[in-house]
Amino acid sequence: MSRTDAAGSSAATSEMNIVTAVNETLGQEMRRDERVRLLGYDVGPIGGVYRATEGLHEEFGPERVIDTPLSENGILGTAVGMAMRGERVVVEIQFMGFFYPAFGQFMYTLTKMYERSGGGLEVPLTIRLPYSGGIKASEYHSESTETYLVHTPGVRVVCPSTPHETKGALAASIRDPDPVIVMEPKSQYREAREPVPEGEYTLSIDDARVVREGNDLTLLTWGAMVPRAGTAAERANADVEIVDLRTLSPLDVETILESVRKTGRCVILHEARRTLGLGAELSALVNEYALDRLHAPVKRATGYDVHMPGHTIEEQYLPDAERAQYAIEAVMNYEF
Amino acid sequence: MSQWTERRPSEDFYRVLAPDGSVEGKPPDLSAEETVDLYRSIVRTRVFEDKALSLQRRGELSIAARSRGEEAVAIGSAAALEPNDWCFPSYRQTGALTHWDAPMDRAVAGLMGTEPETIDEHLPVEDPPAVNFTPTYVPLAVNVTNAVGSAMADRFDDRDTVTLSYIGDGSTSQGDFHEALNFAGVYDAPAVTVIQNNQWAISVPAHQQTASETFARKGEAHGVPAERVDGNDVFAVYEKTKEATERARAGEGPGLIECVTYRMVEHNTADEPSVYRDEKEQEYWAERDPLDRLEAYLREEGHLDEGTIEAIEEEASEDVDGAVRRAREVPTSDPERMFDHHLHTQSWTERHQRAELRAELEGKNPFTDFDGTGLAETDRTRTDGGEKR
Repeated sequence: MSRTDAAGSSAATSEMNIVTAVNETLGQEMRRDERVRLLGYDVGPIGGVYRATEGLHEEFGPERVIDTPLSENGILGTAVGMAMRGERVVVEIQFMGFFYPAFGQFMYTLTKMYERSGGGLEVPLTIRLPYSGGIKASEYHSESTETYLVHTPGVRVVCPSTPHETKGALAASIRDPDPVIVMEPKSQYREAREPVPEGEYTLSIDDARVVREGNDLTLLTWGAMVPRAGTAAERANADVEIVDLRTLSPLDVETILESVRKTGRCVILHEARRTLGLGAELSALVNEYALDRLHAPVKRATGYDVHMPGHTIEEQYLPDAERAQYAIEAVMNYEF
Repeated sequence: MSQWTERRPSEDFYRVLAPDGSVEGKPPDLSAEETVDLYRSIVRTRVFEDKALSLQRRGELSIAARSRGEEAVAIGSAAALEPNDWCFPSYRQTGALTHWDAPMDRAVAGLMGTEPETIDEHLPVEDPPAVNFTPTYVPLAVNVTNAVGSAMADRFDDRDTVTLSYIGDGSTSQGDFHEALNFAGVYDAPAVTVIQNNQWAISVPAHQQTASETFARKGEAHGVPAERVDGNDVFAVYEKTKEATERARAGEGPGLIECVTYRMVEHNTADEPSVYRDEKEQEYWAERDPLDRLEAYLREEGHLDEGTIEAIEEEASEDVDGAVRRAREVPTSDPERMFDHHLHTQSWTERHQRAELRAELEGKNPFTDFDGTGLAETDRTRTDGGEKR
């Protein structure tokens, strides 16, 4: 467990949002290691649909910043082959809802090659996967379906929530010998701004972080929900501890249990549908390993078990500070 | 609608050796020794696979998929590779591995279901094949996409190595096949894809797989030059694969080769072909056997006689028997091996579940942890899992 991570060697910082942090990190990693190549559609001259790869095509050329045919499975399948040959490939999938065509390569090769080769073939590949709703987009542009990913062994799934976190986690992911999926909370892309070290640094992609300490209740969350969790904690009539999971797979169970065993109450806040959302696993872990400390049942403030609705009512689907507050209040008022 | 007028595939293809072994075209530029090597590889593959079948019948292997009658496809194409090239095989290309002297004992141990870590431990590779082979792919068509990625890496890094991969007639219906060929075409990837068209995808005949006149034609839509060859003529397969690999090596992009062959035997040991196909078909193809054809040619040329044939067969049997003997000596994998090589670091979950499995194996209750600190009465310090008990 680590509550703080060492920042980079460079003391100089500049104000970044998550998109500019991604862009800075990709450029730095490509300068540092010539095996790093970007693959995706529209990542070239236009700089990606979010401009996360802006300027990189110009600097590194079309063989390092590779605009691909429009096929997620083709992108992932060829990227795995490149990674098997020692390239450090960073794939951009434009929206999490576009990842499904690549599920074959995800299941058959990306997450399996290292295991099936007895450790002989590594797949050091990073997939950048923008997710989250609340951006008034069309169908399949707003979902959070990390459950499909975290149920599969052989891949790390991380979800940084701030510009500083993003830069450190993305750099660590690119340098990691395992396949890593970096879920980027696109609703926060240009919302959160903070000073970020200009120099290279990496952050842990194994540990959760406690972003707010408290003694009454543990609020488990990640990604785009972290700011909403913060608002709920400020407003709640309770001393709330917020744990930003950062790593969705494998989970930092120790940090989660340590917090819940301290506070005795737990609420989970996530955007994904509830049934078999990651909250189900978190709730199960808390029940298996902290039941004797609980003062109340675990509650999950989540999306509903529906397909992501159209944007006029998506805010009613998405959990917000208010929904989290209700859950906190209900759990705080519960008596066995 | 299928454009195939009959079930028998057209013989409008490239061929050097007629079914009776007589020379129709120009034999490839191979020495007598190299040609006899092709023959030897077919024999060794056949002996190996027949042994696998008998081991399966005795319950030593769970399943085996033979390539009898289609060995010339894998062997002729793999023979066209150069050292340091890459090969992404599917499960019916034993011949490619045999031809490059991949250790047979490891293959047998793998078929016996031994975990790769256990094989590495007990049968370490002393003399790796000069061609790089990935593990054999079981899921269909996904190897072709990975192979194209491998070739893209070579192109981007200016290496002159080539990547070869295989796919069956049935699997050309998978999206991965088309995605792979499309990427190969777009990036001029030095990737050669061999379609081993053996007429049957388990019980579904090739003419029900596509309305395209040939499988080779599928290259055209992707801008990938394609050839259609007699897959039971090892010279034809070799020659056209060689042309494609040399073109790829010279930076001229990918190639596709459809090899027309026939699966003389079951799909695998869980299959019963007599249910869905008639024996006359097998008679037709028996006359086109790749081994008989090459043998007739080599005898005619004076490169092979009864004594040499016997020696080759004897050596193959001895080698296969030796491989089986060594594979049998490999102990059953430690069950904890199932956790190995998922990620490079060990998570709480992995440590905890390893401990649960160990407890269960030791006859202890694995469900005694109620606070997340570990199992009661279980050694909490051993978390590496790499050592044998």
